[in-house]
Amino acid sequence: MIEIKNLTKQYGQITAVNNISFTANKNEILGFLGPNGAGKSTTMNMIVGYLPPTSGEILIDGMNMNDNPREVKKKIGYLPELPPLYLDMKVIEYLRFVAGIKEVPKAEREHQVARALSRLKITDMKNRVIKNLSKGYRQRVGFAQALIGDPQVLILDEPTVGLDPNQTMEVRNLINMLRKDHTIIFSSHILQEVAAVCDRIVIIDKGEIKAFDTKDKLVGASEDDIVYIIRVKGVCADAEKIIRETEGIKNVMEINFLDEKTAEFKVELESEEISEAIVSAMIQNGFSIAEIKRISMSLEDVFASFTRGKSYSGLASSDNNEFSE
Amino acid sequence: MFSLFKKEVQSYFYSPLAYVISALFVLIYSLSFIQWITSLTKLNLQFSFAAIFYEQFFYFIFLIPMLTMKTFAEERRANTEVLLMSTPLNVFKIVTGKFLAIGVVFALIMALTFIYPVITLIYGEVRWSGLICGYLGFFLWGMGCVAVGMLVSSFTENQIIAAIFGEAAMLVLWFMDRFNDIEWMKNKPVWSSIIAAVSPKERFEGFATGVFRLSDVVFYILFISVFLCWTMISVEKRRWSRG
Repeated sequence: MIEIKNLTKQYGQITAVNNISFTANKNEILGFLGPNGAGKSTTMNMIVGYLPPTSGEILIDGMNMNDNPREVKKKIGYLPELPPLYLDMKVIEYLRFVAGIKEVPKAEREHQVARALSRLKITDMKNRVIKNLSKGYRQRVGFAQALIGDPQVLILDEPTVGLDPNQTMEVRNLINMLRKDHTIIFSSHILQEVAAVCDRIVIIDKGEIKAFDTKDKLVGASEDDIVYIIRVKGVCADAEKIIRETEGIKNVMEINFLDEKTAEFKVELESEEISEAIVSAMIQNGFSIAEIKRISMSLEDVFASFTRGKSYSGLASSDNNEFSE
Repeated sequence: MFSLFKKEVQSYFYSPLAYVISALFVLIYSLSFIQWITSLTKLNLQFSFAAIFYEQFFYFIFLIPMLTMKTFAEERRANTEVLLMSTPLNVFKIVTGKFLAIGVVFALIMALTFIYPVITLIYGEVRWSGLICGYLGFFLWGMGCVAVGMLVSSFTENQIIAAIFGEAAMLVLWFMDRFNDIEWMKNKPVWSSIIAAVSPKERFEGFATGVFRLSDVVFYILFISVFLCWTMISVEKRRWSRG
């Protein structure tokens, strides 16, 4: 349904999106996951035809945006990061206006507007002026706008930002409901959300695709990794040193200082035996081990490892690492 | 395109803007009218509406950027440009729709002044040909200025900046033909003839004196088209160079 081939976008010297390719199949929900500034919004703006790509190709339902912009744009509903609202208008006027510019046939307009209102549960708000609405409601009016015209493709840029937990659940349910007759690309930096809703996940960072697969496979691929959580009691800074000096440690993924005397390390090991080496090294240095267990990687870990590289190393030095990559 | 046009016209009346501008305009026009009426003597019982228009334009030209400042600047600031660009509307339709909407608002404001010919008709006589000629010229020149104002608005996302630079552009348009009076310009016949050819004010003088020339109408239509095309290019270009 959506094919992206070698898409690149440069802003002057800066490459915002670098040669990415992926496809979204019909009636699939594709999660677009990445830290802020990863190029998510730029990619989405290119898919909907707002920003022209520097190079590469976007095919929607086999059609290229440049060949037939009018037909292609009719197939897309877009909710940008900042909902595009005219604050002076009433909700219903705004949705009628959108139905008009999306060239919805006159006979269908009222029906579509009413359906979008009821799907987003804002029918009660239809006569309110948009500028008097709270952020959550504005977001929903923006979402309703994307549904007008019954597009086959929905591009949703962080649709749940600014919503309270109940509203977030409602939007998630709505996305789940829409999946049966829409292809949805849905960006977020909230992992649980993407994990809960999406069929496949694209992890993007610094304009490049780091991973693209189903959630199970993304997590499964890292199952061979041996990840341990070790909780240590003692002077924590020294404990970090000991862990780093132990041979056979691939990566210190996370360090949590729980209180003055307790720290929790998440480490990736080369083999099972290393864990014993760590325990004995700790004990030799006068630390006590409160807990040690092997865990499986969560999507968070996968995301962290793809977007940070496998070199996360403690709080103090983490910044340096991010820049030195 | 009609939806966009309708929304644009409405948007002027949602805010006090259109009301304030029309009130100001009618006020200035009324003062001017009163001044003409009171200066009538027994020897000269005539006055010209077109002449009032001509006089009026100097004030009115500064109200136009108020009408045009938000056209593109505001869309960009509110991020609604994305909405327009991601729907089947193209740049041509967006610019034309907005231009026509301002045209309607402008015509409505102009229509308010029609009470004065009516009053005159009650107490005297109106020469319709001159009057229509005056209105037509006023409308054409006004729309030319609107096109310029829209272009300026498409350069920025700040309405105030759009208004200030719009005013500056209007000043240039108004005083353009005066440059030819400078001694220094008199030695440069090529330059002064170019200025004389493109100055919209000189074209208006025909209408103001009740002379209808097709060439003047064509001039204004060309003037408007050039600036609207430039606006379209500017809007389109910004998509490419954004970042």
